[in-house]
Amino acid sequence: MEFLQFTPDEIAALLLSIKVALWCTVATCIPGVFIGWLLARKDFVGKSLLDSLVHLPLVLPPVVPGYLLLILLGNQGLLGKWLHETLGISVAFTWVGAVIASAVMALPLMVRAVRLAVIQVDSGLEAAARTLGADGLWVFFTVTLPLSLPGILTGLILAFSRSLGEFGATITFVGNVEGETRTLPLAIYTYTQMPGGDVQALRLVILSIILALVALFASELMERRAIRLLGNKVPYA
Amino acid sequence: MPEPILEFNVRLDRGSFLLQTELKLEQPVVGLFGPSGSGKSTLLGILAGTIKPDRGRIIVNGRCLLDTAHNTYVPIHQRRVGLVFQDSKLFPHLSVKRNLEYGFNLLSETDKRFSFNHIVDLLELQPLLQQRPNQLSGGEKQRVALGRALLAAPELLLLDEPMASLDERLKSQILPFLRRVKEQIGVPMIYVSHSINEILDLTQQLAVIHNGAILAHGDFHEIVTTDKVLSLANSLGLDNVLDVELVEKNAELGYCVAKCADNLLLLPHTDAPIGNNVSVVIPAANIALSRKKINGISIQNQIPGTVTAIRTVVNHRALVTIDVGSILIAEISAKALHDMEIKLNDQVYCLVKTQAIRYFGKSD
Repeated sequence: MEFLQFTPDEIAALLLSIKVALWCTVATCIPGVFIGWLLARKDFVGKSLLDSLVHLPLVLPPVVPGYLLLILLGNQGLLGKWLHETLGISVAFTWVGAVIASAVMALPLMVRAVRLAVIQVDSGLEAAARTLGADGLWVFFTVTLPLSLPGILTGLILAFSRSLGEFGATITFVGNVEGETRTLPLAIYTYTQMPGGDVQALRLVILSIILALVALFASELMERRAIRLLGNKVPYA
Repeated sequence: MPEPILEFNVRLDRGSFLLQTELKLEQPVVGLFGPSGSGKSTLLGILAGTIKPDRGRIIVNGRCLLDTAHNTYVPIHQRRVGLVFQDSKLFPHLSVKRNLEYGFNLLSETDKRFSFNHIVDLLELQPLLQQRPNQLSGGEKQRVALGRALLAAPELLLLDEPMASLDERLKSQILPFLRRVKEQIGVPMIYVSHSINEILDLTQQLAVIHNGAILAHGDFHEIVTTDKVLSLANSLGLDNVLDVELVEKNAELGYCVAKCADNLLLLPHTDAPIGNNVSVVIPAANIALSRKKINGISIQNQIPGTVTAIRTVVNHRALVTIDVGSILIAEISAKALHDMEIKLNDQVYCLVKTQAIRYFGKSD
């Protein structure tokens, strides 16, 4: 199967994709859970504004958030310039920037999944926990969080998958640097732009499909385990 | 005079519903009785802290939980007011044991009032400990919920219709345990129900709430005859409750004879042995009145008594209170009242079909 002998370039793109997707998942986890819970359980001034802001990347062309990130965090950007000059930190054209770009794109998916999961948790259970002497934080960690775990897992898988497929925001914000920001979709795009790159593009497409299937299978497995943990009941069906 | 266990005066205006009520309770176990929508659950929520009233004061065992005049508001988790919900609200992701330990483990050693094993034994929870809530029957769930609340060492325990979602068979699985808790555990309880029978299974002390206000409170036999309560008898679903002693049983013909004051009552057959005291319910609407004793009639019970009160209520109905040694309330039509010319102190017979009499609970 010579066709499936991947070149070091292709392997690098694959590993970079996985690395960026994993870090993107880690990065969206805590803010995603927090914002999702906030939107599900709390009423506060500016709630709809927060809701809209978080969801913007879902409805905008990905190039727009990418460009905004460039303006904000690019080396000449509003925040990026300061970061670069005073702290020597630069995310533009690095894989960290790719993580930031895909995290921004993935956050709304994570937030939506968590919000839905938290809404489905019976608030009476939280009230019961409070009458038993648990303060708000303890209730969250012992009742709300475990009961919304299947939803949170779904959100994390969605974030991971969204990151694997991220293209527009990434290429706009951190460009297409081989070995640094050239993830699978960018590599496929690059090969399709090259004369004679069709075969390589196709091989990467197959690689993408395999990766996606593995991710979906893993998510299914985790979700089943979580549901069993909650006593054979889907709390948000 | 003993210090009140619970004293409150709260007001909550929700536009369409106004709850404005005050009460001082000295009895350790009190039933809060009222029809659906009367404000029972709202009141419990205010006491437990899940609902914030517009203004008011709540004092439990001398400890102020809420005083809007002095900006005192003890948060729910510091109130030590236990709440047993209608649908138990057990944590589905935790075993029964972990459910029971939930509040218990949050207490400091000095705050713990009962040992874990004491409550487990009292409520016979040992065989359930390793199970998940979704494996339990409704009655078992409520027992676990009761144990969970008790282990959190509440100074006041609120029971919000804990048997409402259970059928008769399941109720009999939880009622003996509620009695045990009442007798062996010194935690003041407020038992809320829209069923007077359920409350009387546990206590004779009750408070009646209607349209967001407490109409009366005290001993059942005293307050059911007060004007305010009686005029609502219908909407409250008030039934006659009698404590009777079984004196004869006939399994073949399926009846029992019981003594109630000086009268003998014919009851449906029961498994309880002769000599036992049982409580029976006779709905007011199932009592007919007659001037004379009637012969040749299928109705077996004809109880003589004296009319002590007559009140007309809505829908052209009348409530006639008859002293038959204990108090019976009969609901008849206003026309019948008029035609029979029933007056105070008249002698009448209360006619009750055997099958119209129900048992409830099992008296001790």
